[in-house]
Amino acid sequence: MGMEQAWLIPALPAATAAVLILVGKYLPRKGDWLSVLAILASFAIFLFVLKDLTDALASGGEFAPGRSGTDWVAFEGFKLRIGFAVDQLAAVMVAVVSFISLIVQVYSLGYMKGDSRYGWYFAVQSLFAASMLTLVLADNLLLLYFAWEGVGICSYLLIGHYHERRSAAEAAKKAFVTTRLGDVGLLIGAILLWRSVGTFDLSDIFAAVRAGEVDQAYLTVCVIMILLGAMGKSAQFPFHVWLPDAMEGPTPVSALIHAATMVVAGVYLVARTMPLFEAADGTLVIVTVVGLITVFLSATMGLVMTDMKRVIAYSTLNSLGLMFVALGSGLVTAAMLYLFTHAFFKALLFLSSGSVYHSTDELDIEQMGGLAKRMPVTAAVFTVGALAMAGLPPLAGFWAKDEVLAVTADHQNPLVLVLVLISVVISALYMTRLVLRMFSGEPRNVKVYEHAHEPVPAMKWPIVLLGVLTLVAGFVVFDQVGRLMGFPGGFGEFVFSGEGEVFKVNALVMVSSIVLVLAGIAGGFYFWWGPALPAQAAARTLPRLYDLLRNKFYIDDLYQTAINRVVLVVAGAVAWYDRVVVNDTGVNGPADLTRYGGFLLKFHETGRMPNYALVMTLGIVVLAVVAFIVGT
Amino acid sequence: MIPLEHFLVVSAVLFSLGVYGVLARRNAVLILMSIELMLNAASINMVAFAAYTSPERFIGIIFAIFIITVAAAEVGLALAIILRLFRNRRTANVDEVDQLKW
Repeated sequence: MGMEQAWLIPALPAATAAVLILVGKYLPRKGDWLSVLAILASFAIFLFVLKDLTDALASGGEFAPGRSGTDWVAFEGFKLRIGFAVDQLAAVMVAVVSFISLIVQVYSLGYMKGDSRYGWYFAVQSLFAASMLTLVLADNLLLLYFAWEGVGICSYLLIGHYHERRSAAEAAKKAFVTTRLGDVGLLIGAILLWRSVGTFDLSDIFAAVRAGEVDQAYLTVCVIMILLGAMGKSAQFPFHVWLPDAMEGPTPVSALIHAATMVVAGVYLVARTMPLFEAADGTLVIVTVVGLITVFLSATMGLVMTDMKRVIAYSTLNSLGLMFVALGSGLVTAAMLYLFTHAFFKALLFLSSGSVYHSTDELDIEQMGGLAKRMPVTAAVFTVGALAMAGLPPLAGFWAKDEVLAVTADHQNPLVLVLVLISVVISALYMTRLVLRMFSGEPRNVKVYEHAHEPVPAMKWPIVLLGVLTLVAGFVVFDQVGRLMGFPGGFGEFVFSGEGEVFKVNALVMVSSIVLVLAGIAGGFYFWWGPALPAQAAARTLPRLYDLLRNKFYIDDLYQTAINRVVLVVAGAVAWYDRVVVNDTGVNGPADLTRYGGFLLKFHETGRMPNYALVMTLGIVVLAVVAFIVGT
Repeated sequence: MIPLEHFLVVSAVLFSLGVYGVLARRNAVLILMSIELMLNAASINMVAFAAYTSPERFIGIIFAIFIITVAAAEVGLALAIILRLFRNRRTANVDEVDQLKW
């Protein structure tokens, strides 16, 4: 079993999804075990594929990605492939996606127990994993786009899992429509590239672009279109509004969307098409700026939100922004390392917050407090996740964030580095706030406090495992650790084998990042320890700023206004045109005319035979006269 | 030999009488008889043209026989309709039968 069998990785969950949708309700336990087994098998196959990949890399020489799959449509000079290619980038993504999906599905066994659409939930989970795995393994843009839409529809279904609740249905719709705006961009970009290069195949496109076969301005347009797609899926400004609302879904779904599927698809897309971004001047600057704006908006909003899951959602936006900044440097490794470690600690944060929500039925951190006494394990792993997110050594988040900072320092404007460093403080602040408000101090709501308890084993062990991985996953950056695990070197070596983009220590950056993180944590303790008086005082002193942040910079309101004032008005005009001009005039008009004409004409039908006979006779006479005249 | 025009004049007169009968008569039976006049006028034309243009072939004559056959069938059908009409409405006057309209 090797790279040629890579198609099995997405095929197994996809087949499972089909089985569960069709006959799931006749299976014991509604087939949840089938879903878990399929993703487990995918992960196992991935290990074989990875072995094959490292062997191929170690054997030296020109490395070609392991291709598999089949031609779907083949004409003369035109081909659509359902094709899969394994290279290092895809391997990292498959590792993240299949592993996190597995963890989330096991966790869901406990979390979703007793849900009225239990079987459906697992079917969509499988489909979600299959879509995402197809996306990362796709060797051509069209299949990638196909999987991209699959991810979109699955996230829609899962966010709206509790669609009886209006807010959940609205959130699902918002997520779908917002990402759709970007998806159109991706489709246009893919078609434009096809028009110019004549193929959807990614490696062929890259080769053509490297050879300079594509006009520079044309390529820039293509790349910006692709970037739009990535921004929509990765919830970058200005498409970030859907992600916090997506918290309406079940918490394991939030973990899956934030850690492994959906939002990292955008980062992956940019990383995958990095040769295009490099070739098109100026597009990387756009990536950086978009990332920076997202980092700042989300970090500041995270400071004031009181909904536990929303704060974590903003921290995801923060991380995604950082990944975009890292990608903006033109290097893939730092962003992929961040994505890799982020998957562990973000899944950890969501799943452990899910445990809190599952037992207390409470999302508002102002109603919590002191929960550490009731659920020590959850509190411990959540704290580990939060510190990793803040970037404290030696947790996974630290190494990744440091790598991002290092490449930013090397390849970007110093201003960008300064801004990113400021965001480091803010993210440390709000993660500290979250931990303190949830787990420390006196219980602010006795009912919540009494309900809180440690979760069932199916939920507990996945988060403990993730906690351990969050502790150690960052060490993959070191060459020695990489070699120990059978890779040619560390993470940087692996993702970018030939070019030797290895992990570097930039002492100044590293020290300043540690200092800033500690400062952030200390600040968090100052503001929110105990009754959180300084924080309240700060909110009172700066009421304008507080309101601005609480209202999410009024961006959602701005969109709502734009929708009400522009979209709905235009839609109303279009609807009016359709109703009045197309339907009433164009379709019903001739029908009405015919009917009215018939109504008028029917009175000429007297029913008297002599009248008919007379008209017939006159008609014949007229015809005879005409024939006589024409004939002569 | 009698010139062709004579036959045609007779035929035309006969046809006009038929048309007049169809238009002016009220009794359905008489209208039917007028239609027979028109058919016979056509038959005369057929036979006359046949005799004058290609006497060695019998096309016109065969046509006339066909017309007679069709006319006989038509009369049978029409008389049946008129009979039913009379049974239902106690009349055979066509201007009293004007219900077949909007």
